Amino acid sequence: MSERALRTEGLTKAFGGVVALDGASVAFRHGQVNALIGPNGSGKTTFFNCVTGMIRADSGRTVYRGRDITRAAPHAIAHAGLGRTFQLCRVFPRMSALDNVLAAVRPAGLLGRLRGAHGRAEVDRARGWLTRLGIEHLVDVEARNMSWGQQKLLELAGVLMADPETVLLDEPAGGVNPALLDRIGGLVRELNAEGRTFVIVEHNMDLVMSISDHIVVFDRGRPIAEGPPSVIRADERVLGAYLGV
Amino acid sequence: MPSASEPVTTLAARRPAVMAGRAARGVLLLLLVVAVLSFPSLAPNPYILSAGILVLNYALLSTSWNFVGGFTGYISLGHGALAGLGAYGTALLVTKAGVPSFVALVVAALAVAALAVPIGYAALRVRGASFVIVSIALVLVLLLVFQSWASFTGGSRGLTVPRPFPDLLRPEHHRVFWFLFAGLLALALLVWWVIDRSRFGLGLKAIREDEDKAESLGIPTFAYKLVVFVVSAGFTGAAGGLYALWFGDLDPVFQFSILTGSYLVLMALLGGVRSLFGPLLGALVVGTALEYFKVEYGSTPLHLVATGLLLAVVVLFMPDGVLPAVSAAIDRFRPAQQSIREVTAAELREQREGAETELAGAGPAASSTKERA
Repeated sequence: MSERALRTEGLTKAFGGVVALDGASVAFRHGQVNALIGPNGSGKTTFFNCVTGMIRADSGRTVYRGRDITRAAPHAIAHAGLGRTFQLCRVFPRMSALDNVLAAVRPAGLLGRLRGAHGRAEVDRARGWLTRLGIEHLVDVEARNMSWGQQKLLELAGVLMADPETVLLDEPAGGVNPALLDRIGGLVRELNAEGRTFVIVEHNMDLVMSISDHIVVFDRGRPIAEGPPSVIRADERVLGAYLGV
Repeated sequence: MPSASEPVTTLAARRPAVMAGRAARGVLLLLLVVAVLSFPSLAPNPYILSAGILVLNYALLSTSWNFVGGFTGYISLGHGALAGLGAYGTALLVTKAGVPSFVALVVAALAVAALAVPIGYAALRVRGASFVIVSIALVLVLLLVFQSWASFTGGSRGLTVPRPFPDLLRPEHHRVFWFLFAGLLALALLVWWVIDRSRFGLGLKAIREDEDKAESLGIPTFAYKLVVFVVSAGFTGAAGGLYALWFGDLDPVFQFSILTGSYLVLMALLGGVRSLFGPLLGALVVGTALEYFKVEYGSTPLHLVATGLLLAVVVLFMPDGVLPAVSAAIDRFRPAQQSIREVTAAELREQREGAETELAGAGPAASSTKERA
C-alpha cells in the first residue's frame, strides 16, 4: 500500500440532532486520485469542511502527512499543502480573473506583503494557469461576468496557483457540460501525473470510475467500502447504499 | 509550467488609453494639490477657512475609515469613538501631564492604535450586521464613560485644550492647522494607496469578496483584518488629536457620537469605497452640505433629513459611489474599444465563441447555453 497522504480517525460532527459524520476513519493515498462517493447527505461535504478546518469536528483527528491538523486554522491547513474547491464554486465576484488567481499568492514577511500584487513573475505564473485551464482570454474579466463553467475553471486556477500538494475537489462535475467535464477529468489525470494528489467528491459515476485510483464510499457519515473502481463497482453494500436496498 | 500566451491585441489596443488615463489622473492630482495649497489664501474670511478645516477633517476621518470599510467591507459605525479617544487622549496628555502638544498627539494616536488590538480582536470575530452593532456599542460605552468620569475627563462640562501656538492670531491658527490636516490626509492617502496595490491589499479585498474562500486559499484573514483595523484606528486617533488641538474644546456628546461614524460611512459610500479619493470626494460634498445646512437652518435637524435622503439616493442609484459612476460615464465617451461595457460585450462574445469551438471538440453540439446550465 502506498503512503497515506490524508487520514482521519473517528471524525465526528453533529448538527443539532443530525449526525453528519459518525466516527469516520478514512485514509487517502498519496500521489493518487482518490474519490469519495456516497448518497446525498452521507457526510461527504461535511467531511471536506472538517478536514480543511472550515468547521470544527466534535471529536476525532485529522492527520496530513504525519502532521495533526485537527485544530489548525483553515489558512494554516492550506499552507500545509491542502487546497480545496467548493461544492457551489466560490470565486471573488468583483475581482478580475487575474486577481482571483493572484489572491492565492502567499507572501512572506511585512515587506513581501507590501510589495505590489502584480509582480511580473506572479502575473506570468497566474496567466500560465489561466492558459492551462483555457480561460486566458478572460484575464481582465470580473468573475461575476463569467459563466458557471468558466467560474469553476477559475476557482481551480486559483487553488492551483497556491501550488497545493493535495487538491480536494467538491463536485467538480456539478452543473458542467460533457465536453468541459472531459477536460476537467483529463486535467486531473495530468496534474496527478505531475505529482499532485487528489481527493474528489463526485456524483458523476462515469467520471469517478474513469479517473480514480482509489474510491471510498460513505454512507451515513462513515465509510462502508473502499478499493479500486473495479471492486467498488461490484460491491453489494455500495449498491445497497445508493439504491436503498 | 504552461506558457502564457500574451493577448497581444488587447494589450496593444489598451496602451494609449492607459497612458491617457494616467495623464488625466496626474493632472487631477496636481489640481487637487494646488487647490489644497491655495485655499487658505483664497478663503475670504476665517470662518470659511475653519469650515474648510472641518471638511478636511471629515476627509481625513473618512479616508481613515476606508482602510477597514473599503478594503475588507466591514462597515464600522464606531470610528467616531476612535477619533474621540484620540482627541481626549491628546487633550488629557496636554492638560494633565503637561506633555508638549504634538508629542501628545503622536502618543495618543499610537495609544488608540494599541487599544484597537483588543477592540478589533473582539469585534472582528463577527461579520455583517453583528459587526456594525458591536461598533455602535463601542461608541455608546465610551460616551457613558467619558460623561460619567467627570473628575478626569471634565464630563459634560467639556475639556478645554490649550492651543499649541498661543502667539498666533486666530486666522493664522486656522491657516497652520489647515496645512497640518492636509499633511496628515496626504499621509493617509499615501498609505492607502500603498496597501491598495500590494499583495496585502489584494488579500484584504479577497476578504471583502468572500472571507471563507480567502481563508481556504491560505490568507490569514483574521490577522489581516486586525492589522488594517489597527492602521485605520491609528489614523483616526491622530485625526481626533489634531481636531482637539485645533478646536480647543471637547464635549463627550460630540466626540462619542454615532452621527460621526454615520457621516464617515455616508461620505465613503458616496465617493466610492473602492477608490483612493472616494472618501475625500464624499467628504467634500457631504461635509460642505452639512456646514451649509447648519448655517442656513441652524437649530433645526434639517441637516439630518438631508443627509438621510442623500444616503438613500446614493445607495439606490450609485451603489458603487460617485467616482466609479463618473468614470464609467466618461468611459462611454471614449473610443469604442476602451469602453468598459463594450470590452465586456466583446469579451462575452469572444468567450462564447471560444467556448463553442473549444468545448465542442468534434461536433458543434455543445452550445454556450449548455455551459451555462
